[in-house]
Amino acid sequence: MTAMRIGIRTSAGGSAKIPQSPFLLGIADSSAGFMFRGDAGAARGIRKRYGDFSGGRKPVFLFEVNFKDRKQNPYKPAINLKNGSVRLKRGDFDCIVDTGTGAGRLEINPSQQSFDSFLRTLYSWILIRCGGCMLHSAGIVKNGKAYIFLGKSGAGKSTLSKLAAASSGCPAGRPALGIEVLSDEINLLRFEKGSFRVYGSPFWGEMRNEGRHGSWPVGGFFLLKKAKANRLGDCTKSEALRLLLRCLVNFDRSPETAGNVLRTAARLLANARFSRLEFTKKDAGFLELV
Amino acid sequence: MLRIKRDLAYRRIAEELFIVDAAKSELHELNGPAAVIWEGIASGKNGPGIISDIVSEFEVDEKTARADLAEFTEELLRQGLLTNANS
Repeated sequence: MTAMRIGIRTSAGGSAKIPQSPFLLGIADSSAGFMFRGDAGAARGIRKRYGDFSGGRKPVFLFEVNFKDRKQNPYKPAINLKNGSVRLKRGDFDCIVDTGTGAGRLEINPSQQSFDSFLRTLYSWILIRCGGCMLHSAGIVKNGKAYIFLGKSGAGKSTLSKLAAASSGCPAGRPALGIEVLSDEINLLRFEKGSFRVYGSPFWGEMRNEGRHGSWPVGGFFLLKKAKANRLGDCTKSEALRLLLRCLVNFDRSPETAGNVLRTAARLLANARFSRLEFTKKDAGFLELV
Repeated sequence: MLRIKRDLAYRRIAEELFIVDAAKSELHELNGPAAVIWEGIASGKNGPGIISDIVSEFEVDEKTARADLAEFTEELLRQGLLTNANS
């Protein structure tokens, strides 16, 4: 009997010579691929963190990611379009994407927090371009429809989300009794076939959940305010628009994008019901009004 | 000749007109008569054309409309939302 020849051939040289399949992320029905270079630990952490959103179809954007220690400041990202490419930049990341081919290069701190901030910046831009938006808001699914709660900082988005999650009997926000928290901080919307849908979000605030894949039709929007009792009331369209624009995440200062934002906001106002919700943090009784 | 400043995005929503100055992160809100003036300027109408629009849409006489137009365009110029092409 002859022994089998078992061997391993290792190529010397840079990682560019080793074929690597990209890590695919599908968020709000937009797919992006990432080819990580160096710092395998950071890459592993990112793959694990966005596990529920991984996989999917051919990516629209494909990034070569180089991990590098960068300074943290400034914290606020900026997006600039120039000569067919877009640059997304913050202290801890710098990315240039060719808008024609979708190929991009990203240099970023090897941390999950930096990568999360980059994804928020990238998807805020992607969603506005395709007629959707990223909203600073709490999102809850009730009986198969998504409800979005808009409010400035301190309005109660996290409190309301925690109450809703507790009422479902499941702190992680997974479906139970028809209630599910989509995110306590950032919700993702797209306009499809004449109406808006809310997509599962990997972007969370205090609740620090990971989110899950899925999409739900919009049931309504609420302008949120903490109060001593639960109460539902009307609001004017201009009140709703003002808060909507304040909550819409947009780092691109170009007039074209401002025009897209206004168009999306006008569509939302025309397609969905906006109300004012005062809620008490005593319990999840407000869910009866939704 | 008055012109709307470049790089502004605006849209009529419900009865009002909203202007976004993205570079300054400012949102301006115009009511019905102000929106008529803005849209008149945007479509290249001259003073008499805009005054005629105001008179036909709102219950005001021509003299009042002319005064309102002058006052409002001055305000828009002051806020940097209009430019004077002649100056």
